[in-house]
Amino acid sequence: MRDAGHDSSQDAKESIRIVEEADIITARQRVRATAQELGFDSFAASAIITITSELARNIWVYAGRGEVVVERIDKGARKGIGLQFIDQGPGIVDLPKVLKGGLSRGGGLGLGLSGSKRLADEFDIDTQPGKGTHISVVKWKAR
Amino acid sequence: MRRDEIDQYMDILNFDEYELRSRLEFFEITDDDFRCLAGLRDFASKYTEEIVEKLYELILGHPETRTFFPDAETVERVKRKQTEYFMKLFRENIDLDYIRDRLRIGFVHEKIGMPPKWYLGAYRRYLQLITDRLIEEYRDRPDLAEQYVRSIEKIIFFEMAVSIDTYIAAHVETVTRHKEAIRELSTPVIKVHDRVLLLPVIGTVDTHRAQQIMETVLLEIVEEQAKVMIIDIAGVAVVDTRVADHLIRTTKAIRFLGAEAILTGISPNVARTVVQLGVDIGEIQTTNRLADGIELALHEIGKAITPKNQEKHLEKARQQERPGEKR
Repeated sequence: MRDAGHDSSQDAKESIRIVEEADIITARQRVRATAQELGFDSFAASAIITITSELARNIWVYAGRGEVVVERIDKGARKGIGLQFIDQGPGIVDLPKVLKGGLSRGGGLGLGLSGSKRLADEFDIDTQPGKGTHISVVKWKAR
Repeated sequence: MRRDEIDQYMDILNFDEYELRSRLEFFEITDDDFRCLAGLRDFASKYTEEIVEKLYELILGHPETRTFFPDAETVERVKRKQTEYFMKLFRENIDLDYIRDRLRIGFVHEKIGMPPKWYLGAYRRYLQLITDRLIEEYRDRPDLAEQYVRSIEKIIFFEMAVSIDTYIAAHVETVTRHKEAIRELSTPVIKVHDRVLLLPVIGTVDTHRAQQIMETVLLEIVEEQAKVMIIDIAGVAVVDTRVADHLIRTTKAIRFLGAEAILTGISPNVARTVVQLGVDIGEIQTTNRLADGIELALHEIGKAITPKNQEKHLEKARQQERPGEKR
Protein backbone atom coordinates (compact mmCIF):
# COMPACT_ATOMS: atom_id res chain seq x y z
CA MET A 1 0.00 0.00 0.00
CA ARG A 2 1.14 3.49 -0.72
CA ASP A 3 2.34 5.61 2.11
CA ALA A 4 0.91 9.09 1.81
CA GLY A 5 3.96 10.73 3.37
CA HIS A 6 6.42 9.47 0.74
CA ASP A 7 7.19 10.44 -2.81
CA SER A 8 4.52 8.49 -4.66
CA SER A 9 6.55 8.33 -7.89
CA GLN A 10 8.75 5.76 -6.17
CA ASP A 11 5.84 3.35 -5.94
CA ALA A 12 4.27 4.07 -9.30
CA LYS A 13 6.68 1.97 -11.36
CA GLU A 14 5.61 -1.00 -13.33
CA SER A 15 7.60 -3.39 -15.43
CA ILE A 16 6.19 -5.22 -18.43
CA ARG A 17 8.13 -8.09 -19.90
CA ILE A 18 8.38 -8.15 -23.66
CA VAL A 19 8.62 -11.72 -24.88
CA GLU A 20 6.02 -11.96 -27.61
CA GLU A 21 4.27 -9.58 -29.95
CA ALA A 22 1.14 -9.39 -27.79
CA ASP A 23 3.26 -7.95 -24.95
CA ILE A 24 3.67 -4.79 -27.03
CA ILE A 25 -0.09 -4.30 -26.77
CA THR A 26 0.03 -4.86 -23.02
CA ALA A 27 2.74 -2.21 -22.67
CA ARG A 28 0.73 0.17 -24.82
CA GLN A 29 -2.41 -0.39 -22.77
CA ARG A 30 -0.53 0.28 -19.52
CA VAL A 31 0.82 3.54 -20.93
CA ARG A 32 -2.58 4.52 -22.26
CA ALA A 33 -4.14 3.94 -18.83
CA THR A 34 -1.38 5.95 -17.12
CA ALA A 35 -1.81 8.82 -19.59
CA GLN A 36 -5.52 8.83 -18.86
CA GLU A 37 -4.98 8.79 -15.10
CA LEU A 38 -2.67 11.78 -15.36
CA GLY A 39 -5.06 13.63 -17.63
CA PHE A 40 -2.82 13.87 -20.70
CA ASP A 41 -4.32 15.69 -23.67
CA SER A 42 -5.12 13.43 -26.59
CA PHE A 43 -2.11 14.41 -28.67
CA ALA A 44 0.41 13.91 -25.86
CA ALA A 45 -1.27 10.59 -25.07
CA SER A 46 -1.10 9.57 -28.70
CA ALA A 47 2.59 10.54 -28.79
CA ILE A 48 3.62 8.54 -25.71
CA ILE A 49 1.53 5.51 -26.78
CA THR A 50 3.13 5.60 -30.21
CA ILE A 51 6.60 5.82 -28.65
CA THR A 52 5.77 2.76 -26.54
CA SER A 53 4.61 0.91 -29.61
CA GLU A 54 7.76 1.77 -31.58
CA LEU A 55 10.35 1.06 -28.93
CA ALA A 56 8.67 -2.03 -27.45
CA ARG A 57 8.46 -3.40 -30.95
CA ASN A 58 12.16 -2.72 -31.45
CA ILE A 59 12.88 -4.85 -28.38
CA TRP A 60 10.78 -7.68 -29.74
CA VAL A 61 12.13 -7.48 -33.29
CA TYR A 62 15.82 -6.97 -32.55
CA ALA A 63 16.48 -8.35 -29.07
CA GLY A 64 13.72 -10.97 -28.86
CA ARG A 65 13.06 -10.12 -25.23
CA GLY A 66 13.40 -7.28 -22.78
CA GLU A 67 11.29 -5.06 -20.58
CA VAL A 68 9.41 -1.80 -20.56
CA VAL A 69 9.30 0.11 -17.29
CA VAL A 70 6.43 2.56 -16.98
CA GLU A 71 6.84 5.25 -14.37
CA ARG A 72 4.19 7.67 -13.35
CA ILE A 73 5.78 11.00 -12.51
CA ASP A 74 3.65 13.13 -10.26
CA LYS A 75 5.66 15.97 -8.75
CA GLY A 76 2.93 18.33 -7.78
CA ALA A 77 2.51 20.70 -10.68
CA ARG A 78 4.63 18.58 -13.01
CA LYS A 79 3.05 15.40 -14.20
CA GLY A 80 4.40 13.04 -16.79
CA ILE A 81 5.24 9.54 -17.86
CA GLY A 82 8.74 8.12 -17.76
CA LEU A 83 9.47 5.06 -19.84
CA GLN A 84 12.47 2.79 -19.99
CA PHE A 85 13.07 0.26 -22.72
CA ILE A 86 15.67 -2.24 -21.69
CA ASP A 87 17.08 -5.18 -23.60
CA GLN A 88 20.21 -7.28 -23.77
CA GLY A 89 20.03 -7.53 -27.55
CA PRO A 90 22.61 -6.80 -30.24
CA GLY A 91 22.67 -3.02 -29.57
CA ILE A 92 22.71 -0.33 -32.24
CA VAL A 93 25.91 -0.20 -34.24
CA ASP A 94 25.65 3.14 -36.02
CA LEU A 95 23.56 5.18 -33.61
CA PRO A 96 23.99 8.66 -35.20
CA LYS A 97 22.87 7.32 -38.57
CA VAL A 98 19.93 5.42 -37.08
CA LEU A 99 18.84 8.53 -35.18
CA LYS A 100 18.82 10.48 -38.43
CA GLY A 101 16.17 8.07 -39.68
CA GLY A 102 15.57 5.93 -42.71
CA LEU A 103 17.99 3.15 -41.79
CA SER A 104 16.47 -0.22 -40.97
CA ARG A 105 17.77 -3.71 -40.50
CA GLY A 106 14.32 -5.02 -39.74
CA GLY A 107 12.77 -4.31 -43.13
CA GLY A 108 10.63 -1.46 -41.85
CA LEU A 109 10.71 2.25 -42.59
CA GLY A 110 13.62 2.83 -40.21
CA LEU A 111 11.85 5.74 -38.57
CA GLY A 112 10.90 4.22 -35.23
CA LEU A 113 13.83 5.51 -33.22
CA SER A 114 14.16 8.94 -34.85
CA GLY A 115 10.40 9.40 -34.79
CA SER A 116 10.15 8.44 -31.13
CA LYS A 117 12.87 10.94 -30.29
CA ARG A 118 10.86 13.70 -31.99
CA LEU A 119 7.66 12.68 -30.21
CA ALA A 120 9.34 12.64 -26.79
CA ASP A 121 10.15 15.56 -24.49
CA GLU A 122 13.23 13.85 -23.09
CA PHE A 123 15.05 11.07 -24.84
CA ASP A 124 18.17 9.33 -23.69
CA ILE A 125 19.78 6.31 -25.26
CA ASP A 126 22.57 4.08 -24.07
CA THR A 127 23.51 1.31 -26.42
CA GLN A 128 26.50 -0.99 -26.70
CA PRO A 129 26.96 -3.31 -29.65
CA GLY A 130 26.60 -6.88 -28.45
CA LYS A 131 25.47 -5.84 -24.99
CA GLY A 132 22.08 -4.24 -25.31
CA THR A 133 20.13 -1.02 -25.39
CA HIS A 134 18.59 1.14 -22.70
CA ILE A 135 16.35 3.99 -23.78
CA SER A 136 14.78 6.45 -21.35
CA VAL A 137 11.92 8.64 -22.45
CA VAL A 138 9.86 11.27 -20.67
CA LYS A 139 6.68 12.87 -21.91
CA TRP A 140 5.31 15.71 -19.78
CA LYS A 141 1.71 16.62 -19.46
CA ALA A 142 1.09 20.00 -21.12
CA ARG A 143 0.56 22.68 -18.50
CA MET B 1 -10.45 -36.93 -25.93
CA ARG B 2 -9.29 -38.43 -29.19
CA ARG B 3 -5.98 -40.16 -29.70
CA ASP B 4 -4.66 -37.42 -32.02
CA GLU B 5 -5.68 -34.81 -29.47
CA ILE B 6 -3.62 -36.60 -26.84
CA ASP B 7 -0.67 -36.73 -29.21
CA GLN B 8 -1.10 -33.04 -29.86
CA TYR B 9 -0.85 -32.38 -26.12
CA MET B 10 2.15 -34.68 -25.83
CA ASP B 11 3.74 -32.47 -28.50
CA ILE B 12 2.78 -29.21 -26.83
CA LEU B 13 4.28 -30.42 -23.56
CA ASN B 14 7.29 -31.88 -25.40
CA PHE B 15 6.61 -35.19 -23.72
CA ASP B 16 9.08 -37.74 -25.00
CA GLU B 17 11.37 -40.30 -23.37
CA TYR B 18 13.86 -37.60 -22.50
CA GLU B 19 11.25 -35.39 -20.86
CA LEU B 20 9.87 -38.33 -18.94
CA ARG B 21 13.28 -39.31 -17.58
CA SER B 22 14.10 -35.71 -16.76
CA ARG B 23 10.90 -35.36 -14.74
CA LEU B 24 11.35 -38.66 -12.91
CA GLU B 25 14.85 -37.55 -11.99
CA PHE B 26 13.70 -34.19 -10.67
CA PHE B 27 10.86 -35.70 -8.65
CA GLU B 28 13.49 -38.17 -7.38
CA ILE B 29 11.41 -41.16 -8.33
CA THR B 30 13.70 -44.20 -8.36
CA ASP B 31 13.30 -47.93 -8.89
CA ASP B 32 13.04 -48.24 -5.11
CA ASP B 33 9.94 -46.08 -5.18
CA PHE B 34 8.39 -48.22 -7.89
CA ARG B 35 9.19 -51.34 -5.85
CA CYS B 36 7.43 -49.76 -2.86
CA LEU B 37 4.42 -48.72 -4.94
CA ALA B 38 4.03 -52.10 -6.63
CA GLY B 39 4.39 -53.77 -3.24
CA LEU B 40 1.56 -51.67 -1.85
CA ARG B 41 -0.98 -52.91 -4.37
CA ASP B 42 -2.72 -55.29 -1.97
CA PHE B 43 -2.87 -52.60 0.65
CA ALA B 44 -4.31 -50.18 -1.93
CA SER B 45 -7.04 -52.51 -3.17
CA LYS B 46 -8.07 -53.13 0.43
CA TYR B 47 -8.61 -49.43 1.24
CA THR B 48 -9.09 -47.47 -1.98
CA GLU B 49 -12.85 -47.82 -2.20
CA GLU B 50 -13.26 -46.66 1.36
CA ILE B 51 -10.87 -43.76 0.75
CA VAL B 52 -12.82 -42.70 -2.35
CA GLU B 53 -16.04 -42.69 -0.29
CA LYS B 54 -14.39 -40.42 2.25
CA LEU B 55 -12.96 -38.21 -0.50
CA TYR B 56 -16.43 -37.68 -1.97
CA GLU B 57 -17.72 -36.64 1.41
CA LEU B 58 -15.41 -33.66 1.03
CA ILE B 59 -16.22 -33.03 -2.62
CA LEU B 60 -20.01 -33.38 -2.28
CA GLY B 61 -19.97 -31.51 1.01
CA HIS B 62 -18.68 -28.32 -0.55
CA PRO B 63 -21.29 -26.14 -2.28
CA GLU B 64 -19.02 -25.24 -5.21
CA THR B 65 -17.60 -28.67 -6.00
CA ARG B 66 -20.98 -30.37 -5.52
CA THR B 67 -22.33 -28.64 -8.63
CA PHE B 68 -20.00 -30.70 -10.85
CA PHE B 69 -22.01 -33.82 -9.98
CA PRO B 70 -25.62 -33.34 -11.08
CA ASP B 71 -27.03 -36.75 -10.07
CA ALA B 72 -26.37 -39.94 -8.10
CA GLU B 73 -25.57 -41.84 -11.27
CA THR B 74 -22.74 -39.44 -12.14
CA VAL B 75 -21.40 -39.69 -8.61
CA GLU B 76 -21.33 -43.51 -8.80
CA ARG B 77 -19.64 -43.51 -12.20
CA VAL B 78 -17.02 -40.97 -11.14
CA LYS B 79 -16.33 -42.88 -7.92
CA ARG B 80 -15.63 -46.04 -9.89
CA LYS B 81 -13.30 -44.10 -12.20
CA GLN B 82 -11.63 -42.50 -9.23
CA THR B 83 -11.00 -45.91 -7.65
CA GLU B 84 -9.40 -47.18 -10.87
CA TYR B 85 -7.39 -44.00 -11.10
CA PHE B 86 -5.96 -44.27 -7.60
CA MET B 87 -5.18 -47.96 -8.06
CA LYS B 88 -3.03 -47.05 -11.05
CA LEU B 89 -0.72 -45.05 -8.79
CA PHE B 90 0.62 -48.31 -7.40
CA ARG B 91 2.78 -49.39 -10.30
CA GLU B 92 6.23 -50.64 -11.12
CA ASN B 93 7.06 -48.03 -13.77
CA ILE B 94 5.91 -44.97 -15.67
CA ASP B 95 6.02 -44.96 -19.46
CA LEU B 96 4.71 -42.64 -22.16
CA ASP B 97 1.47 -44.60 -22.53
CA TYR B 98 0.79 -43.98 -18.89
CA ILE B 99 1.45 -40.25 -19.38
CA ARG B 100 -1.01 -40.24 -22.30
CA ASP B 101 -3.59 -41.76 -20.01
CA ARG B 102 -2.89 -39.13 -17.36
CA LEU B 103 -3.08 -36.22 -19.82
CA ARG B 104 -6.79 -36.88 -20.07
CA ILE B 105 -7.31 -35.93 -16.45
CA GLY B 106 -6.18 -32.33 -16.79
CA PHE B 107 -7.79 -32.08 -20.20
CA VAL B 108 -11.19 -33.31 -19.01
CA HIS B 109 -11.07 -31.11 -15.92
CA GLU B 110 -10.33 -28.05 -18.00
CA LYS B 111 -13.13 -28.89 -20.43
CA ILE B 112 -15.77 -29.22 -17.72
CA GLY B 113 -14.48 -26.01 -16.15
CA MET B 114 -13.17 -27.58 -12.95
CA PRO B 115 -10.51 -25.18 -11.65
CA PRO B 116 -7.15 -26.63 -10.49
CA LYS B 117 -7.85 -25.48 -6.92
CA TRP B 118 -10.51 -28.19 -6.44
CA TYR B 119 -8.38 -30.83 -8.09
CA LEU B 120 -5.40 -29.99 -5.87
CA GLY B 121 -7.55 -29.64 -2.77
CA ALA B 122 -9.13 -33.06 -3.33
CA TYR B 123 -5.72 -34.59 -3.90
CA ARG B 124 -4.58 -33.19 -0.59
CA ARG B 125 -7.40 -35.00 1.14
CA TYR B 126 -6.54 -38.22 -0.66
CA LEU B 127 -2.92 -37.94 0.47
CA GLN B 128 -4.06 -37.48 4.06
CA LEU B 129 -6.47 -40.42 3.90
CA ILE B 130 -3.97 -42.82 2.39
CA THR B 131 -1.21 -41.71 4.76
CA ASP B 132 -3.45 -42.29 7.78
CA ARG B 133 -4.24 -45.83 6.59
CA LEU B 134 -0.58 -46.56 5.89
CA ILE B 135 0.60 -45.41 9.29
CA GLU B 136 -2.17 -47.48 10.85
CA GLU B 137 -1.37 -50.55 8.77
CA TYR B 138 2.37 -50.37 9.45
CA ARG B 139 2.24 -49.07 13.00
CA ASP B 140 4.82 -51.71 14.01
CA ARG B 141 7.17 -50.60 11.23
CA PRO B 142 7.15 -46.76 11.27
CA ASP B 143 10.34 -46.75 9.16
CA LEU B 144 8.55 -48.68 6.38
CA ALA B 145 5.45 -46.52 6.67
CA GLU B 146 7.58 -43.41 6.23
CA GLN B 147 9.28 -44.83 3.16
CA TYR B 148 5.91 -45.74 1.61
CA VAL B 149 4.48 -42.31 2.33
CA ARG B 150 7.47 -40.74 0.58
CA SER B 151 7.00 -42.88 -2.53
CA ILE B 152 3.29 -42.08 -2.67
CA GLU B 153 4.00 -38.37 -2.25
CA LYS B 154 6.47 -38.46 -5.12
CA ILE B 155 4.12 -40.10 -7.58
CA ILE B 156 1.22 -37.87 -6.56
CA PHE B 157 3.26 -34.73 -7.11
CA PHE B 158 4.47 -36.12 -10.41
CA GLU B 159 0.85 -36.71 -11.44
CA MET B 160 -0.24 -33.28 -10.34
CA ALA B 161 2.52 -31.68 -12.41
CA VAL B 162 1.33 -33.54 -15.53
CA SER B 163 -2.26 -32.54 -14.88
CA ILE B 164 -1.47 -28.90 -14.26
CA ASP B 165 0.62 -28.79 -17.44
CA THR B 166 -2.30 -30.21 -19.36
CA TYR B 167 -4.67 -27.76 -17.75
CA ILE B 168 -2.52 -24.90 -18.94
CA ALA B 169 -2.01 -26.36 -22.41
CA ALA B 170 -5.76 -26.94 -22.82
CA HIS B 171 -6.44 -23.41 -21.66
CA VAL B 172 -3.86 -21.90 -24.02
CA GLU B 173 -5.34 -23.95 -26.82
CA THR B 174 -8.82 -22.57 -26.09
CA VAL B 175 -7.50 -19.01 -26.07
CA THR B 176 -5.68 -19.62 -29.35
CA ARG B 177 -8.86 -20.90 -30.96
CA HIS B 178 -10.75 -17.82 -29.78
CA LYS B 179 -8.04 -15.60 -31.20
CA GLU B 180 -8.30 -17.36 -34.54
CA ALA B 181 -12.06 -16.90 -34.49
CA ILE B 182 -11.71 -13.20 -33.78
CA ARG B 183 -9.16 -12.86 -36.54
CA GLU B 184 -11.53 -14.41 -39.01
CA LEU B 185 -14.15 -11.88 -38.02
CA SER B 186 -11.72 -9.01 -38.12
CA THR B 187 -11.31 -8.40 -41.85
CA PRO B 188 -14.80 -7.95 -43.21
CA VAL B 189 -14.75 -6.49 -46.68
CA ILE B 190 -17.95 -4.62 -47.45
CA LYS B 191 -19.21 -3.89 -50.90
CA VAL B 192 -20.19 -0.22 -50.82
CA HIS B 193 -21.14 0.03 -54.45
CA ASP B 194 -20.47 -1.76 -57.67
CA ARG B 195 -16.65 -1.96 -57.85
CA VAL B 196 -16.13 -0.06 -54.59
CA LEU B 197 -15.04 -2.00 -51.51
CA LEU B 198 -14.56 -0.95 -47.91
CA LEU B 199 -12.41 -2.53 -45.24
CA PRO B 200 -12.85 -1.10 -41.75
CA VAL B 201 -9.77 -1.91 -39.67
CA ILE B 202 -10.46 -2.02 -35.95
CA GLY B 203 -8.14 -2.65 -33.02
CA THR B 204 -4.55 -3.68 -33.28
CA VAL B 205 -2.55 -4.22 -36.43
CA ASP B 206 0.08 -6.82 -35.54
CA THR B 207 2.20 -8.76 -38.01
CA HIS B 208 -0.41 -11.46 -38.55
CA ARG B 209 -3.22 -8.96 -38.98
CA ALA B 210 -1.23 -6.86 -41.42
CA GLN B 211 -0.59 -9.89 -43.61
CA GLN B 212 -4.23 -10.85 -43.41
CA ILE B 213 -5.32 -7.35 -44.43
CA MET B 214 -2.99 -7.40 -47.42
CA GLU B 215 -4.18 -10.85 -48.54
CA THR B 216 -7.88 -10.19 -48.05
CA VAL B 217 -7.77 -6.82 -49.75
CA LEU B 218 -5.96 -8.08 -52.83
CA LEU B 219 -8.11 -11.20 -53.19
CA GLU B 220 -11.35 -9.26 -52.82
CA ILE B 221 -10.28 -6.68 -55.38
CA VAL B 222 -9.70 -9.40 -57.94
CA GLU B 223 -12.84 -11.31 -57.03
CA GLU B 224 -15.12 -8.28 -57.11
CA GLN B 225 -13.23 -6.62 -59.96
CA ALA B 226 -13.10 -3.57 -57.76
CA LYS B 227 -11.86 -0.22 -58.94
CA VAL B 228 -11.54 1.38 -55.52
CA MET B 229 -10.62 -0.02 -52.14
CA ILE B 230 -11.40 2.14 -49.12
CA ILE B 231 -9.49 1.29 -45.96
CA ASP B 232 -10.94 2.96 -42.90
CA ILE B 233 -8.54 3.19 -39.98
CA ALA B 234 -10.68 5.23 -37.59
CA GLY B 235 -10.80 2.24 -35.24
CA VAL B 236 -7.08 1.49 -35.23
CA ALA B 237 -5.64 1.89 -31.74
CA VAL B 238 -2.19 3.20 -32.70
CA VAL B 239 -0.72 4.19 -36.03
CA ASP B 240 3.02 3.82 -35.56
CA THR B 241 5.69 3.53 -38.26
CA ARG B 242 5.02 -0.19 -38.55
CA VAL B 243 1.31 0.23 -39.19
CA ALA B 244 2.00 3.14 -41.54
CA ASP B 245 4.51 0.97 -43.39
CA HIS B 246 1.93 -1.82 -43.78
CA LEU B 247 -0.67 0.63 -45.05
CA ILE B 248 1.76 2.11 -47.55
CA ARG B 249 2.69 -1.35 -48.81
CA THR B 250 -0.93 -2.41 -49.05
CA THR B 251 -1.92 0.67 -51.04
CA LYS B 252 1.06 0.12 -53.36
CA ALA B 253 -0.05 -3.45 -53.99
CA ILE B 254 -3.61 -2.25 -54.63
CA ARG B 255 -2.33 0.19 -57.25
CA PHE B 256 -0.21 -2.55 -58.74
CA LEU B 257 -3.43 -4.48 -59.31
CA GLY B 258 -4.85 -1.49 -61.16
CA ALA B 259 -7.22 -0.31 -58.44
CA GLU B 260 -7.21 2.85 -56.34
CA ALA B 261 -6.75 2.96 -52.59
CA ILE B 262 -8.35 5.54 -50.33
CA LEU B 263 -7.40 5.73 -46.68
CA THR B 264 -10.15 7.16 -44.50
CA GLY B 265 -10.71 7.80 -40.82
CA ILE B 266 -7.49 9.74 -40.29
CA SER B 267 -7.93 11.59 -37.03
CA PRO B 268 -6.08 14.86 -36.29
CA ASN B 269 -3.95 13.00 -33.73
CA VAL B 270 -2.95 10.32 -36.16
CA ALA B 271 -2.12 12.93 -38.79
CA ARG B 272 0.07 14.87 -36.38
CA THR B 273 1.78 11.81 -34.93
CA VAL B 274 2.54 10.23 -38.28
CA VAL B 275 4.03 13.48 -39.58
CA GLN B 276 6.18 13.83 -36.46
CA LEU B 277 7.37 10.29 -36.90
CA GLY B 278 8.66 11.41 -40.28
CA VAL B 279 6.60 8.97 -42.32
CA ASP B 280 6.17 9.98 -45.96
CA ILE B 281 2.76 8.70 -47.00
CA GLY B 282 3.55 9.53 -50.63
CA GLU B 283 0.58 9.83 -52.91
CA ILE B 284 -1.97 7.91 -50.91
CA GLN B 285 -5.40 9.51 -51.06
CA THR B 286 -6.59 10.16 -47.54
CA THR B 287 -9.65 11.68 -45.94
CA ASN B 288 -10.74 12.37 -42.42
CA ARG B 289 -14.30 11.21 -42.82
CA LEU B 290 -15.40 7.91 -44.27
CA ALA B 291 -18.24 9.72 -46.06
CA ASP B 292 -15.72 11.83 -47.98
CA GLY B 293 -13.83 8.70 -48.91
CA ILE B 294 -16.95 7.08 -50.28
CA GLU B 295 -17.77 10.18 -52.27
CA LEU B 296 -14.25 10.23 -53.65
CA ALA B 297 -14.54 6.55 -54.56
CA LEU B 298 -17.81 7.05 -56.40
CA HIS B 299 -16.31 9.95 -58.27
CA GLU B 300 -13.46 7.63 -59.22
CA ILE B 301 -15.87 5.19 -60.91
CA GLY B 302 -17.79 7.98 -62.62
CA LYS B 303 -20.69 8.10 -60.20
CA ALA B 304 -21.62 10.88 -57.85
CA ILE B 305 -23.77 11.50 -54.85
CA THR B 306 -26.02 14.47 -55.50
CA PRO B 307 -28.44 16.10 -53.08
CA LYS B 308 -32.09 15.23 -53.61
CA ASN B 309 -33.24 18.74 -54.42
CA GLN B 310 -30.38 19.15 -56.83
CA GLU B 311 -31.57 16.02 -58.58
CA LYS B 312 -35.01 17.60 -58.96
CA HIS B 313 -33.34 20.67 -60.40
CA LEU B 314 -31.48 18.58 -62.89
CA GLU B 315 -34.64 16.71 -63.79
CA LYS B 316 -36.46 20.01 -64.33
CA ALA B 317 -33.61 21.33 -66.40
CA ARG B 318 -33.69 18.22 -68.54
CA GLN B 319 -37.41 18.49 -69.05
CA GLN B 320 -37.08 22.11 -69.99
CA GLU B 321 -34.31 21.28 -72.38
CA ARG B 322 -36.20 18.55 -74.18
CA PRO B 323 -38.73 20.75 -75.92
CA GLY B 324 -35.85 23.03 -76.82
CA GLU B 325 -34.12 20.15 -78.55
CA LYS B 326 -37.14 19.66 -80.75
CA ARG B 327 -37.03 23.20 -81.91
